[in-house]
This record gives sequence, C-alpha cells and structure tokens, in this order.
Amino acid sequence: MKPQVADSKINSSGTSVSSTTSTLGEANECLFEFLHAEIMNYVIEKNASDSNVKNTEENLSELEWMGFGVGYRIIERLTREWVRFKDELDMIKFICTDYWSSLYHKQIDNLKTNHHGTYVLQDNEFRLLKHLANHNSNNNNKQYLRECPRLIAFTCGLLRGSLANLGISSIVKAEITLIPTCKFHVEVQRV
Amino acid sequence: MTIHNLYIFSKNGVLLYYNEWNRLNKSGITKEEEAKLMYGMLFSIKSFVNKISPLDPKEGFLYYKTSKYSLHYLETPSGLNFVLNTDTASQNVRELLQQLYRQVYVEYVVKNPFCKLNEPIQSELFKSKVDELMKKSPIYLNRSL
Repeated sequence: MKPQVADSKINSSGTSVSSTTSTLGEANECLFEFLHAEIMNYVIEKNASDSNVKNTEENLSELEWMGFGVGYRIIERLTREWVRFKDELDMIKFICTDYWSSLYHKQIDNLKTNHHGTYVLQDNEFRLLKHLANHNSNNNNKQYLRECPRLIAFTCGLLRGSLANLGISSIVKAEITLIPTCKFHVEVQRV
Repeated sequence: MTIHNLYIFSKNGVLLYYNEWNRLNKSGITKEEEAKLMYGMLFSIKSFVNKISPLDPKEGFLYYKTSKYSLHYLETPSGLNFVLNTDTASQNVRELLQQLYRQVYVEYVVKNPFCKLNEPIQSELFKSKVDELMKKSPIYLNRSL
C-alpha cells in the first residue's frame, strides 16, 4: 500500500523542485553518491587507525551524526511551502513521498505502522545500494551485506535529524536482508 | 556471428576482468601470462599505429582482423582498455564496447564504493551484467561450433 498525502496539491512548488533535481541529470546524482562514498571511507579509515576503538563492530556514529545535521537542516528547505502537519503520521507520510523523492528520486515503496510510534519504511531499490546488487541477479545479493551498514548509517541519521526538527525524537534503525531492499525502522520516543 | 572473449585492462596494464564465451582455442599458458602478452601486444600496436599513420591519427587503433577472428579495441580517455574478440562478420562491436563501458562499468564498478579501481573486479553484479549484455547483443549467437 502506498501512502498518499491528502494535501499534496498545495505543494506545487515543492514538487517542481523535486522534478527539476531529477531532470538535472547524471552529474548531479553521482556527485552526491561519490561524495557520500568518500565521507564513508574517511570515517571508516579514521576509526580503523584510531587504536582506542578496537571493537568487532564498526563505529558508524560519526556518519550517523553527519546525517543528523544534514537532515535537521534539509527539512527546513523541503517543508517551506507546506502547511503545518496534522499529526505524526502526516509527517511520516511526507517523509515517504516528497521528502524521499527529492533526496533519492523515488518514493518509499511500503509504509507500515503499529499506530504506537513504530514505523517501518521500506525502499525496494535504495539508491545507495542499487549499484551493489539487484533483485534479478541470482544468489549474489549477499556479496556486500557485511559492508552495507556503512552506506546506510548516513541515511538513518538523515531521517532522525529531519524528524527531530519536525518535533519527533526518535531512534532510527535499518535492516537489510536482500540488497538493494532496505527497511528503516523509526521508533518514536515518547517522553 | 559470435563473441569469443573479453579483456578489460586498467591504464597500468592490470587485468581487471576476463571472461570467455565461445573460445575454442586455449593459449596453453596461465591467464596472467596471457593477459601480459595481450597487453604488450596492444601497447605495441597502439604506438605503431600512431607512428606509422600518414595522417594525424584521431582515434588511433580501433580493430584488427585475421582470417578467423576480429579483435576490437576501445580505449577510454581515462586509459581503460576494453578488448573484445569476435568472429570476422560481426558489426557494430564498437557500439557494444561503448555500452559495456557506459552502462555496465560505470554503473556497477565506478558507482560501487566497495569496488577498488585498478584492481581486479570482484562485484558479482558487474559479472552478471556483463554476461547479460553480451548474451542479449545480436553479435552473440551461441552456435554449436
């Protein structure tokens, strides 16, 4: 089921923004991807050279924080033409549609919620993963599974930052079982 | 028409990728040695062609043909070398090589942050995409030779 935003027509200039970014073409698109990859490598290498951090698990919190900062800012720009959101679900729906298509040029494919503050956003072809493997390839979707969290951490932070600026404090986790499908779990923290 | 095999070399002569489809004659040496021979030959032909050309060479070496097969060569401005051996009747192989570079190499190697450039390509997706592109091309015709 695809989430529908009731008042998407109000956002005429907002949609034109997303359409121009997608028509701007290749250079625009891969610039972000390459920059993201370099930031990712930088953070990983810095952690590896840091002798204090000798955990088995990679420390991706720095990437996540960068995403948080970007998300916190970007939401100001993306919502400037919007009326106030009715409730939490309305904000999540905005994230799934306009927000995601301006950032990743497609909408979230599936949104699930338990109506108690947990949302699962599923992207069946997440842009940062689609160059690694795809659904049609037989049996090789697991090749880069171990490295995948590095590519996801930034986006988790992005979501968390955006929601934070909309007034929702949350925990965002991601789950990948089959590249390039990615599920983002958003757990809203109630005070 | 048929496609025999494909080599991709980096600008330093490292064999990034090799695959064969309908190859009847094996060289009898290891893949590494064969790649060195191949790269050496291409290197010589390239400089030979550029020196011997009576006119200012624009594109340089493009392909050569023997009685049995044709070797098609594409060098990108960044120095990558794509070499495809086909039978002598094949047409538009250059276009296929361009496609291979643009639609497969750039998409699944350059844009994959875990693929190190100038090292042999490990990505399974890349391998399956190359195979797919070759098999769907009209040049590829799996005759029982």
